[in-house]
Amino acid sequence: MEINPDAWVLYEWRGLPLNATIVFTWVVMALLVVGSWAITARLSEGETVSRWQVMLEVIVTTIRDQIAEVGADTPGRYLPFIGTLFLFIAAANVLSIVPGYQPPTGSLSTTAALAICVLVAVPLFSIGERGLAGYLRNYVQPTPLMLPFNIVSEASRTIALAVRLYGNVMSGTVIVGILISIAPFFFPIVMQVLGLLTGLIQAYIFAILAMVYIGSASRSRRRSDDPSTNHTGD
Amino acid sequence: MQIDWLTVAAQIFNFLVLVWLLQRFLYRPITTAMARREERIESRLSEARKARAKVEAEAEDLREKQERLEARREEVLREARQKAEALREDLEDDLRKEIEARRTSWQDHLDDERDELAERLRHQAGHQVIEIVGRVLRDYAGSDLAGQVAGTFVDRLTDLDDEARDKLRAAAERADGTATLQSSVPLKPAARSQITRAIREYIAPDIEVDYREDDDLLLGVRLTIGEQTVEWSATRFLHRLETTLDEVIEGGLRRRAAGLPDPDDSAEGG
Repeated sequence: MEINPDAWVLYEWRGLPLNATIVFTWVVMALLVVGSWAITARLSEGETVSRWQVMLEVIVTTIRDQIAEVGADTPGRYLPFIGTLFLFIAAANVLSIVPGYQPPTGSLSTTAALAICVLVAVPLFSIGERGLAGYLRNYVQPTPLMLPFNIVSEASRTIALAVRLYGNVMSGTVIVGILISIAPFFFPIVMQVLGLLTGLIQAYIFAILAMVYIGSASRSRRRSDDPSTNHTGD
Repeated sequence: MQIDWLTVAAQIFNFLVLVWLLQRFLYRPITTAMARREERIESRLSEARKARAKVEAEAEDLREKQERLEARREEVLREARQKAEALREDLEDDLRKEIEARRTSWQDHLDDERDELAERLRHQAGHQVIEIVGRVLRDYAGSDLAGQVAGTFVDRLTDLDDEARDKLRAAAERADGTATLQSSVPLKPAARSQITRAIREYIAPDIEVDYREDDDLLLGVRLTIGEQTVEWSATRFLHRLETTLDEVIEGGLRRRAAGLPDPDDSAEGG
């Protein structure tokens, strides 16, 4: 049973393999972009709004509210990054009910890529918010002795982020695969439904954790007072 | 489980492209549209607030105007009432005066009628009385009324007191010995000579008596010597009768004006 979409090479061009991860990522991207474009091309600014636009507005405002709840003063600043994380992961996971589809999030390469994006985004947003000196000062707080631990903390939480998403999504696929071989009827459907829920939860957790990391790095040293930092241990 | 770093790089690129695309096609249009809508709603609300404030100001203005109009109306009504009251009083006054004038005129007219009636009554009654008396005298005494009158006059002349007689004598001397005797009825020669004799005997022996008739006397004789006059006539009785009649008529009118019934119809007949 093939459970790593990276290994599923659909096409190879001059030694560059085009695996299922990238192809399904493109599919998800195309769905998201075309769907958004189809709706936002006919945006209404008046009182009568189409239900699709309402749906998009609800999604966008919910994401923005969640970002604001984590503690960001300007949610609009983080909306594209965090929102795209959530929408991409959610769409990639939800589409797993489609037969023949392999969620790209089930590939460690994808989750690692997303985690690396978060790893890079945290210092970028922090520097953009507080300046380079302000960001670097974070590593020597409360004492310069903490510098190595802070660096390890940064790296480990990126890895944790990547592995968590990968493990959750891949496990769902693996469990469904095993169940199909053991009990071909009924149970796989239940597990698929459970997989949908898990996929959405994972998308939410990944996005929120990314926001927490960015938020905690962007703000000054108030982290110890902020209960949202508890999520870092998740 | 391996990480394909080429795939990782591709996925990072894909993700960044997706971020850009979604920013381009999803977040920006949606947030812009929502912001514009909010702005529009806000502007509409603000317009509505302005319109409401304006309407309230206008309503306040109208209320003030209405109050002013109400006050003005009250004032006009009060003036009109005062004028109407004044007019009513004037009219009442005029009416009262007119009624008073009419009443006075009616009273005068009534007085005139009463006087006329009294005069007529006096005349008729006098003539009636004289006629009755004369008939009675003729029927029962066997003599005419003029003769009786002459006799009575002679008796009176005889009974005159000394003072009156002296006055008459003095007047006769001043009047060149002429006396005038007026009677209501023509006196017979016998009565004339009886009267002439009596005058010459008691007043002046050589006086001339001029006999005339005067219907006003009704019944009686009036002797005028110079400025002195001696009279015996029914006129005085008639005057007394007239006075009585006047009193009766006046009393009846007063009772009628007061709305009281006549005490006794026989009083008017007597």
